[in-house]
Amino acid sequence: MQAKMEQGKRKGKVAKQKETKTDQRLRKETEMAQSRTSGGKLFMAVVYMLATCRAVPINDLLNRASERSDEMYSLSTGLTKDLASHMSPLSWPAMERPALCHTSVLPTPNDKEQTLQVSESALMSLVRSLLQAWAEPLVILSNHASTLPHPARINISNKIQNLQDYSKRLGDGLDILSGKMGPEAQVVSILPYHGGTDLGHDRNSKLQKFNFLLSCFRRDSHKIDSFLKVLRCRAAKMQPELC
Amino acid sequence: MKKAEGVIILWWLLFFTLHAEGTSYSLPGKPTLTNCRSPEKETFTCWWEPGSDGGLPTTYHLYYRKESSDAVHECPDYRTAGKNSCFFNKNDTSIWINYNITVVATNARGSTFSDPVEIDVVYIVKPNPPEKVTVNVSWNKSWPSLRVSWDPPQKADTRSGWITLIYELRIKLEGEDKWEEHPAGQQKMYNIYSLQSGGTYLVQVRCRPDHGFWSEWSDSTYFKVPDYFPQERSIWIIIMIFSVFIFLILIWAIHMNSHTLKHHILPPVPGPKIKGFDKQLLKSGKSRDAFSSLVGSDFPPTTTNYEDLLVEYLEVYIPEEQGLMLEEGKDLHDGSLKSKSYTSDSDSGRGSCDSHALLVDKSEEEKEVGQKSNQQGGRTEMDLKRPEESPEENILNYSHANVGSPDVSCEKVKTWPSLFSPLTENSSGPLDQPDSPEMAKQHCLSDSLFPPSPLSSPFAPPGHKEVLGSNYQEYSFGNMHPHVLHPQTGSHQYLQAHGNMNVANIGHKGVPADLQLPPVRSTEYVEVQKVNNENMVLLYRVSSDAEKGCPGRRHTEEYSRLKGVNNDNGLLLLQRMVSEEEMNICPYEDQESSGLTDSGYTTSTAQKSTAYIPPATQVLDERVAGGYVDTSMFTLPIY
Repeated sequence: MQAKMEQGKRKGKVAKQKETKTDQRLRKETEMAQSRTSGGKLFMAVVYMLATCRAVPINDLLNRASERSDEMYSLSTGLTKDLASHMSPLSWPAMERPALCHTSVLPTPNDKEQTLQVSESALMSLVRSLLQAWAEPLVILSNHASTLPHPARINISNKIQNLQDYSKRLGDGLDILSGKMGPEAQVVSILPYHGGTDLGHDRNSKLQKFNFLLSCFRRDSHKIDSFLKVLRCRAAKMQPELC
Repeated sequence: MKKAEGVIILWWLLFFTLHAEGTSYSLPGKPTLTNCRSPEKETFTCWWEPGSDGGLPTTYHLYYRKESSDAVHECPDYRTAGKNSCFFNKNDTSIWINYNITVVATNARGSTFSDPVEIDVVYIVKPNPPEKVTVNVSWNKSWPSLRVSWDPPQKADTRSGWITLIYELRIKLEGEDKWEEHPAGQQKMYNIYSLQSGGTYLVQVRCRPDHGFWSEWSDSTYFKVPDYFPQERSIWIIIMIFSVFIFLILIWAIHMNSHTLKHHILPPVPGPKIKGFDKQLLKSGKSRDAFSSLVGSDFPPTTTNYEDLLVEYLEVYIPEEQGLMLEEGKDLHDGSLKSKSYTSDSDSGRGSCDSHALLVDKSEEEKEVGQKSNQQGGRTEMDLKRPEESPEENILNYSHANVGSPDVSCEKVKTWPSLFSPLTENSSGPLDQPDSPEMAKQHCLSDSLFPPSPLSSPFAPPGHKEVLGSNYQEYSFGNMHPHVLHPQTGSHQYLQAHGNMNVANIGHKGVPADLQLPPVRSTEYVEVQKVNNENMVLLYRVSSDAEKGCPGRRHTEEYSRLKGVNNDNGLLLLQRMVSEEEMNICPYEDQESSGLTDSGYTTSTAQKSTAYIPPATQVLDERVAGGYVDTSMFTLPIY
C-alpha cells in the first residue's frame, strides 16, 4: 500500500517534472515557431511531437536498459575468464587480503529483502552511481591492458574497450530514464577511485590489480543488472509475463 | 632382574600400543569442497567431500569468513542439505559478498583443513527445475496443437524480478532416443504443432537464470496426441473427385466428337480426284481397269478424221528485227511462222518463261518482261508500246508483266518449247504425253498474260490485227503484238493465238485435243485446230469451266468453235456450253474445222451460238493455250 502510494507520488512528481520540462521546451518551440512564418502550424507540430515523445513507456526503456546491462555483465564475465585462462591456479598470484572495491563505500542492498525495499528512484540512483564510478577505472584498465604481462592481453584490451562503449551507452540511457523518474533518481553519488593511475610495478602486482579491478567491475555490473531488472519488473505491470 | 624384565615388558607393551595407535590412527584426510549452489539467490548450500578419516571418527566443520569482516563463522546448518553439506539460510546469506569457506576435518589425531573456496552467491545460482508441467490439447480447424505450460520453481522469485529465468523444453516420441529441444525464452508456455496423430510424447522443461547454471530437467510428462484426420487429405480427395469428374466429361466430349477429332488429327488421305477414276479398282490392284476410265475413249480418235483432229498450231512470232512475221493470213498458217518463231531468239516466249526468276515476283516479271520483250527481238508488245500512248503502254506493261511470267504463265511458257518441238516434228506425241499439262501451262501463260480486262482496244495498234487469245501468243512468242500477225493497216483485228497457239500446220496433225488450256483462270480458250489450205485458222473454243476429271486439262474448258470470220474480219466463235459430264471425260468436241479468213482470222463453223468477235475487239485478254482462243477474254456480244 505504502509502496503504491509512493509510486503514485513518484508518478505525480515525474509528471510534474515532465510538465515543467515540456513547458520549457514548449516556450522555446513557440518562440522559434513564432519567429517563422508558419508559426502556428509548427507550434502544433511540436506539441504533437512532444506528446508522442512522452508516450514512450518507461518499462520499455527499462527493458532496453536491462538488456544493455546484461550484455555488459556478460562481457565482464568473459574478461575475467580470459584473464584466468592462461594462468594456472598455482601461478596465480595470491592476493593479500583483498582490498575493498572502491565502490564498496556505496551502501547497496545485500539481499533480496533489502533490495525490494529500496524505492525505484533510489535504485536508479544506485545504478547510475555505480556506473559512473567505473568510468575512470575503465580508462586505466584499458590503458594498461595492452601492456599487461598476459598472453591474451590483446583480446582483453579489445574487450575492455567494448566495455567502455557499453558503459557509456548505458549511462546515457539511464540519464534519460532517470529523467522520467523521481528526483531521487537524479542523485548520483560520486565514488572516486583512489587506486592510482598505474597497476603496479612488477608483473605480479600488475596482474593482481588488474584482476582485482575486473572482479570489482564484474560485481558492480551484476548489481546494476539486477537492480535494473527489478525495476523492469516493477514497471511492467502490463506485462506480467516478463516477470 | 624381574623388575628389569617387567620394565622391559612394559616398555614393549607401551611401544606396541603406541605403535599400534600410530599405524591405525592419523590425521583425517583433507576434505574438499565440491560445490556450492544457490537455488534462488537467497540461500545456498555447500557440499564437501571428506578425505580419509584416518581410522578415527572424524568430524567436519565448515567455517566461513565474509569478505568485509574477519570474523569466522561456522556453518549454521549441517543437516538440511544432507551429509557433508552446509546450508546457509536467508539470514546467513549475503549476496555480492565473497565468502571464504573452509572445511575442517577433525579427529582425535588432529584436524585437516581443506582448501579455501571463495564464492559469491550470485555467481552460483542453479535453480530447481520448473514445476507443474502440463500439456493441453487445443483444436484449431481440426488441427490439434499442444500447449505445454509450466510454473517456475517454487522458490525462485521471478515475480519481483529478483531472478530472471529462461526456459527450455524438449520433447520426444515414446520409444525414441533423440530429443527435440526448443528454447522458450522467458515465457512459461510453449505451443507444439506437427505432431503425429495418436502418438505418445514425453516432454521435459528446464530453466536457468540469466547468469547462472541450468537446472535439471523436470520429470517427464506423458501425453497422447489425439487421432485426427489431416485436413490436407480431405482437400486432396475433393480435388481427385473433381479431376475424375472432369476427366469423365472430357472422355465423353471426345467420344461425341470422335469423328471430327479423327479428321483433325488424322486427316484422311485424299484420294484421287479424277473423274471416272475408280478407287476401288485401284485398290483391287487392277490398275489397268482403274486407269481405263481415264483414257478417253475418244483417244486416239479413230472415228474422226485425222484432219479434223489435227490441231495445227499457229505460231505467231514477230520479232522486231524480223519484222512482221505474219503475212496476211499466210503467215498464220505458214509453217514458216513456226519456224520463224523457232528461229526467233531463244528468249522469245520461252526464254522469258524459262527463267525462274520471273516466277518469283511480278515486279520482277514486269522488269523482266520489259527486258525480255526487248530481248525477244522487240516483241510486238514492245513495238506496241512505242507507238502507243501511255494508257496503252500501261496496259501493255501489264500484259508485259503478265508475259514476264506470272507464275502460271511461266510454267506454261516453259512448256511451250516442248510443245513446239514436237510440233515441228509434226507429231502428236507430245500431246499425249504429260506435255499436255505443259501445254496447258502454255495455255495458262497466255491466259495470265492477258487479264480479262478489255485490252482489246489498247492492244490494237493501228493497223494491226489482233489475234484472239493471243495473250500467250504474244508473250510467249514475243510477237504477241497483234499487228505483227496481221500487218494490215487499219485493221485492229488480229488473230492472236493464245499462248499456246498451236501453229497451224497444214498437214500437220497436231493433237490439240489434249492441249488443254491451263486451268489457271476461268478463261475461254479457243484452240486453233488447224490452218487449212485456205489460210484459215481453225479455232476451237475451249471451255474453261468444267475441268474435273480431265486429265491434262487444268480446268474445265469450254471450247468454242470459231464459227467464222465475218466480213468485218471478226471472229465468230461458238460458245459452247459443255456439261459437266462431258467435261469429265474431257471431251474434245466441237472440233470443227473452221475456215480461216484470208486476213488471218480464224473462223470456225459455228454450230452453236457464236461469239462474235468484232475486229475491233482485241482478244488480248484471252488465254490461248494450245491454240485456244479464250472467249472469255472477249468482250463480245454474243450473237
